[in-house]
Amino acid sequence: MTDQPTQMSPVKLGLAVAWPAFWTGMPIKIVLALLLLAMGQHPWEFPGLAFLLLLSIPVDIWAVGLSGRTVLLERLGVEPPASLGLTLWWQGAALYATYGSLACFLERQTIAGSKAVVARILDLELLKTIPIAERISIELTAWGSIAAVVLLALALGGLFLFGKLVQRQADAASPAAASYEARVYQWDLMRVPADQPLMLTVFTAVGVSMVLMLWAFMPVTTPHPHESYKQDEKKAAPVLKPTEALQKAERVLTQAETSVQALEEKARKNKGKAPEKKAAAKPKKA
Amino acid sequence: MQPKLKSKVRCADREVGEITRVIVDPLSREVSHIVVGGNGVGGAERQVPVSEMQSVTDDLVQLRAASSALAQFPPLKREDYVTIHEVEIAHLEDHLHVESGEVLVPLPTLERDVLRRTFFMNLTHAIGALVALPLAFPVLKYLMKPMYSPFDNAWLKVGNVNRIKADDVGVQLKYKKKVKEAFMPEAEVDKNVWILKASPAVLEEVYKGKDMEFRDQTGRLVWTNKKDVPYVVFSGKCPHLGCGYKWRKVPKLGKEIFLCPCHLSIYDPSGKVLDGPAPRPLDTLPIRVDAGGNVEIIDMEFKAGTKAQTRIV
Amino acid sequence: MSGQPNVLEKVIAFVDERVGLKTLQAKMLNEPVPGGSRWAYIFGSVLLFIFIMQAVTGILLMFYYVPSADHAYASTQYIIHEVDYGWFLLSYHFWGSSAMVVMVFAHMSQVFLWGAYKSPREMIWLVGLALFGIVMGFGFTGYLLPWDQRAYWATTVGVEIMDKTPIVGDFMARFLKGGATPGQMTLSRFFVIHVMILPATLMGLAGLHIFLFRKAGPAGPFRGTPDELKAKTDYFFPRQIWKDMVAMGAVFAAICSLAFIEPVVLLEEATPDPGEYHPEPEWYFLFLFQLLRLKIFSGEFGQFLGAIAIPGAFMALLAALPFIDRSPERNIFKRPVALIGWIVVMAAILIFTVSAIINREFLD
Repeated sequence: MTDQPTQMSPVKLGLAVAWPAFWTGMPIKIVLALLLLAMGQHPWEFPGLAFLLLLSIPVDIWAVGLSGRTVLLERLGVEPPASLGLTLWWQGAALYATYGSLACFLERQTIAGSKAVVARILDLELLKTIPIAERISIELTAWGSIAAVVLLALALGGLFLFGKLVQRQADAASPAAASYEARVYQWDLMRVPADQPLMLTVFTAVGVSMVLMLWAFMPVTTPHPHESYKQDEKKAAPVLKPTEALQKAERVLTQAETSVQALEEKARKNKGKAPEKKAAAKPKKA
Repeated sequence: MQPKLKSKVRCADREVGEITRVIVDPLSREVSHIVVGGNGVGGAERQVPVSEMQSVTDDLVQLRAASSALAQFPPLKREDYVTIHEVEIAHLEDHLHVESGEVLVPLPTLERDVLRRTFFMNLTHAIGALVALPLAFPVLKYLMKPMYSPFDNAWLKVGNVNRIKADDVGVQLKYKKKVKEAFMPEAEVDKNVWILKASPAVLEEVYKGKDMEFRDQTGRLVWTNKKDVPYVVFSGKCPHLGCGYKWRKVPKLGKEIFLCPCHLSIYDPSGKVLDGPAPRPLDTLPIRVDAGGNVEIIDMEFKAGTKAQTRIV
Repeated sequence: MSGQPNVLEKVIAFVDERVGLKTLQAKMLNEPVPGGSRWAYIFGSVLLFIFIMQAVTGILLMFYYVPSADHAYASTQYIIHEVDYGWFLLSYHFWGSSAMVVMVFAHMSQVFLWGAYKSPREMIWLVGLALFGIVMGFGFTGYLLPWDQRAYWATTVGVEIMDKTPIVGDFMARFLKGGATPGQMTLSRFFVIHVMILPATLMGLAGLHIFLFRKAGPAGPFRGTPDELKAKTDYFFPRQIWKDMVAMGAVFAAICSLAFIEPVVLLEEATPDPGEYHPEPEWYFLFLFQLLRLKIFSGEFGQFLGAIAIPGAFMALLAALPFIDRSPERNIFKRPVALIGWIVVMAAILIFTVSAIINREFLD
């Protein structure tokens, strides 16, 4: 039976292509997200998100093409049509935009609705006495299971539709004549590029330049300093200008002299009035 | 050629059986005996030394002796031997070729493509090199943090010139320096310098007609010791290997000098090396003396054991 | 390839003559993986990679960290605020430990679902369970070292829970604390366990784990005819190693990203008075923590039941698994008890972890 191509249910087919495609693109996207983070951008907020989505397009086209070709060859026994990746990508994107947004909406409604219902149930007199820890877990399990079931159903629906898209591509393709072993060999070899040295050089060069960018962008000190940590302040060596110091000293002395003279004048004036005051008013030598 | 297991054994007159086992000498790693068994032998297997072999081919061993003489060879005592899987003898496989054929395992279909193999091998190396590479630069900077700390050019009060009683006589000034290292709480260390009031001749020796400039790592001028200020302060560390030195009267020379007890470097009052392994004169420090005679210095330390003076602290 | 051998080839030939390098290399690398190399098999190698990264970052942290109660906090803050990229290396080490726990769960799940614990692989499974315990031990001991409020109190509560073990509980708790209450002795003990004892044990057991695995051979996929398996078989090197490498790269990037998103920020320095702070363990212990809040586990016996008896019984069940489950069937879709059991356990852990997080709001 192994040499006969298998017929797959749409859900299985959709999963067989989507799951590997998702994980194939993941390492590249993680690296891109890392670079964004090093630059201080959040990949889940604009503009970082826009950058990531834009660069994901060629990655996804390549990834879905690779998985699609593999599945078509190995499991369905057909020759993959040209630009399978591009076709599946834009069709998948359209599906995601339409069905995907509907599914998101439905799931959000389900979560909100089930949360509200469960909260209402637990507010009943009978169940009000349940302690808080138990209550939290029961609530979570209750609305969580409902939401999970709905999510699963929606996901299966999406995979079903995507599987149908893949099947359409397979139906339009010509059957592969080779044996199972040969077909496995074929998709395996598809991963080996025609011009190895070029590919490897480009890959390494891109990798090295990404590392250099990382080093250039990443902050040297922590981006989240502790609020009460005092940075070690190095006291700058006090710059001393000797002439200035001398001038200042001179100024102080002359000022002192003038004030002494003024006080002596005052004392002379008060000579007749209060001799003791005069003695008390004698200023101390500077 | 080594005798092969399962090859036939022939005596001078007729075929007697086959080689059932081979015995190897563990030290020389050479075949020492063959064990002959089979119908022609009758009864126990016989242990025959290789010297008895006349000729050896891939499938036949010819013995010198007649079949009747076969009985003279001792029977095999199996319990005296172990197989080569039960004992570790170095490099035995390299010397042993007693199997007449090979045991083979097929190469998987996917592995038969050399291009594929080399591609994934190279890609693995590329990714492997790239995976941990991002850490290299940050780790280097991380480890180097305390290695090249910027200099502290603060002025420290070390004593007063009223301690100096005569010209050209070394006087030690001891002081405490506050040190804060990384996350450690502030600590105090004891340090010392040597000061002397130089006569014009000694002053000339120290400055050699030029003001002494002190710079920091960027080359910025920190301080200039004017050559006409008569007070000279030397770092308390001997420029040979950093020991603390002393001011001593040497009866033989009839004068007083700086003497380092570690390796007996001797310096005159201007710091010039008179004797010993010191590579350069005593290191002078920035000094300023205020109106009250208080001496202030910038604490500097210099790399020991080199002719050139390189500041390290 | 023609001409005289170059220097490198001569060196290789020199070593090969003495050590049998070529045969050794062939034996280690040319291990046929039945059914072909798979992305599902990467978790073991990724765990080894994460461990090596933790060791490297840990050693680097030790250049500046001081394990004494008066300097632990200050030296950790120094690493974060003063040393170039210190914040990054510490945050990498912190998130790396979380990644390790996630990967341990993934690896154990993969082995369980593929039925690769069944005969003749029982010993690999048992050694693996010991390794799981060691990874948890790493997380628990390392958490104390920064000596801030979070570290100190999480440890205090954790050791108190261990105290509930019958007979040996008090001894164990005093051994770990180095006394009746946590202090410098605790820090010293946790430090030496974290940087010397656990790494040595892990390396030894991991070596044993890999040795036993090579002896038994990879279990391979649980379905597929012999022809299908044969068609897809390839060697460990380069294909599986390449997949391992890509996975390592992705995990490395993910940990770095987490370090950027949420770098380590300490709370205040540890004090005997918890003040406003609500003690909490690391996230991978949260489900146990939440479990102990349930009323059925209140009281001395209840705490013993929830903290020691039930987790202990569960671990014992896992250890006995290869001896209880003797059916050679490895297809998960034909092992309903196993599949449902796995889903229930994973769901329970998830629910209680999330409950613990929700519960935080109710504490303020």
